[in-house]
Amino acid sequence: MSEVPFKNPGWAGNTGEFDLDEDQVRGDDFVGTRPREGGHPSGAATYPYMLPEKHPDAPLFEGEHKERFEKILTRYPNKQAALLPTLGLAQEVRGHVSPETMDRVAELLELSPAYVRGVTTFYTMYNKRPVGRYLVQVCTNISCNLCGADDVMEAFLRYTDTEIGETSEDGEFTVVEAECLAACGFPTCVQINSRYYENVTPADVPKIIERLKAEGAGGD
Amino acid sequence: MAYPYVSDREVRVLSKYFGDPTQRRLDTYVERGGYQALKKAFEMGQDAVIDEVKTSGLRGRGGAGFPAGVKWSFMPKQPTKPHYLLCNADESEPGTFKDRELMRWDPHQLIEGILIASYAIRAKHAYIYCRGEFFEATQVLAKAVEDAYAKGYAGADIMGSGNDIDITVHVGAGAYICGEETGLMNSLEGRRGQPRVKPPFPAAVGAFGMPSTVNNVETLSAVPHIITHGGQWYRQWGTEKSPGTKLFCVSGHVNKPGNYELPLGFPLMELIDDVCGGMRGGKALKAVIPGGSSVPLLNAEECGRCSLDYEGVQAVGSMLGCASVIVMDEDTDIVKQVRRMVQFYAHESCGQCTPCREGTAWMTKVLLRIEEGRGTEDDLDTLLEMSRQMTGTTICVLSDSAAAPVVSSIQKFKDEYLALIRRGERVGVA
Repeated sequence: MSEVPFKNPGWAGNTGEFDLDEDQVRGDDFVGTRPREGGHPSGAATYPYMLPEKHPDAPLFEGEHKERFEKILTRYPNKQAALLPTLGLAQEVRGHVSPETMDRVAELLELSPAYVRGVTTFYTMYNKRPVGRYLVQVCTNISCNLCGADDVMEAFLRYTDTEIGETSEDGEFTVVEAECLAACGFPTCVQINSRYYENVTPADVPKIIERLKAEGAGGD
Repeated sequence: MAYPYVSDREVRVLSKYFGDPTQRRLDTYVERGGYQALKKAFEMGQDAVIDEVKTSGLRGRGGAGFPAGVKWSFMPKQPTKPHYLLCNADESEPGTFKDRELMRWDPHQLIEGILIASYAIRAKHAYIYCRGEFFEATQVLAKAVEDAYAKGYAGADIMGSGNDIDITVHVGAGAYICGEETGLMNSLEGRRGQPRVKPPFPAAVGAFGMPSTVNNVETLSAVPHIITHGGQWYRQWGTEKSPGTKLFCVSGHVNKPGNYELPLGFPLMELIDDVCGGMRGGKALKAVIPGGSSVPLLNAEECGRCSLDYEGVQAVGSMLGCASVIVMDEDTDIVKQVRRMVQFYAHESCGQCTPCREGTAWMTKVLLRIEEGRGTEDDLDTLLEMSRQMTGTTICVLSDSAAAPVVSSIQKFKDEYLALIRRGERVGVA
């Protein structure tokens, strides 16, 4: 491992004793992140989950985001089916899905505002209120819990000086409890913005936080 | 290539290239014989493809274990409406982490399986419903689909065969229930992911009201191999009723957790002691959940008798589910872990059916009370009565899943519940 014991920044296989580095895991010229305008329409609905930079008043949609939105629409037999990807795209731009955002999405997809509100609030990945630059989701479900996820959770809360669901005073971190992130063999799994951090122990937590503060990484 | 923990007991068919990042590239995949199965399928014709998959005995890897070929044969043979194939990549059962690995290490294997399945069921459009949190896996998959389009393996007139099949990578938004096939269809349509009443079954009225088939990532990933080598070849592994290989996701208190591809029917204790390097810290085994959090727990004695195929696990009173083996050692607080699982179901209940919506939340409260030493012996009867009323009374099986660990843990580890209750009574918390 390098001098910064920064484990597995969201890419499989280079955790702990496994001897792959990020380049190997991603493949030399394998593009890890999709182009902002969406690339081929088949993959336009895949989006970065959370970005550090958030623009709560950004227009829905303009430029490359508009291009992506229009590509998404071509893949479904009706506009309603584009609702989830569109909400995701809106959140990518604005950082959270406010009631105003929901109304705007309703308008774009010719749905009623109440319907969009009903759908948005059903799903946990839409932030109904603003979150910090980094949304830290600690899995505390059974497999991680057996391996000490509660201690990892506590460490995140201690080092960010915040409470579950709250944003730290400097606006950097929001720490929440997550349900199983499907990385049960690599406990504890923590998702920070879009990326997975696997095999996280309480001792790793201050290092992860320092690195995030210093580098602003983890957004794509 | 090193992949986290491999074992020489493994039979790596689907997971052969785990740990090899070059496998994600289309040219590498084709060099290694990729997309030949698709070509062969086009030459065989739809019915022969379905028959071959029926011969293989491939069973759905998402949990229910329904034979894939039979499921495909329910689709209308003469399409009068658009057909859809839906790939269920909404992996969120606690303990399961195989689909993410299949998608991020070998995306083209999945895409080829999707194309073959779409062809067989006469679908012109396939949706891959990916779990929203799977940012990395969806990026890899989207890139792979894009490459497949660019090289003529997807889209119009695939490989000059005259077959058109579109693939769209769709992302969910964080709801466990969307892994249930009808919940998935509702979610794909832009609705709340609430399961639908069956019948009508998806093969008659599915996504967008059209005939649809939902298959798990692992099921579809096995299809190219079956078409290449034949259904009989696949039967060289596993048992008569559960043929083939299966990815076992092992987590919890073992030395080497991870994904292991093994023939079905593999003995559970050999998986733990041999393949996974034994219990962490040499501790004794207390309990195992053999199929993800939705199935009953096994105690150590039952583990010794358990072979990992659909029937073998059933014989000891649990279910294989998606083969997510969660191992717990002697120090595990069973009540706490059961409470955590039920809390998960309470969080993920879609709220449609009263027994589930109310039952999961109530159960969590009662279990928490016991855990904190404020429980009484009557609470155990309450839990069992609630479980009874939550089983078989709802649209989907989420509430049954919440009840399973509660009932089995009270049956098998009642002492632990009683110890917490007695301790609470002694110190006078109750």
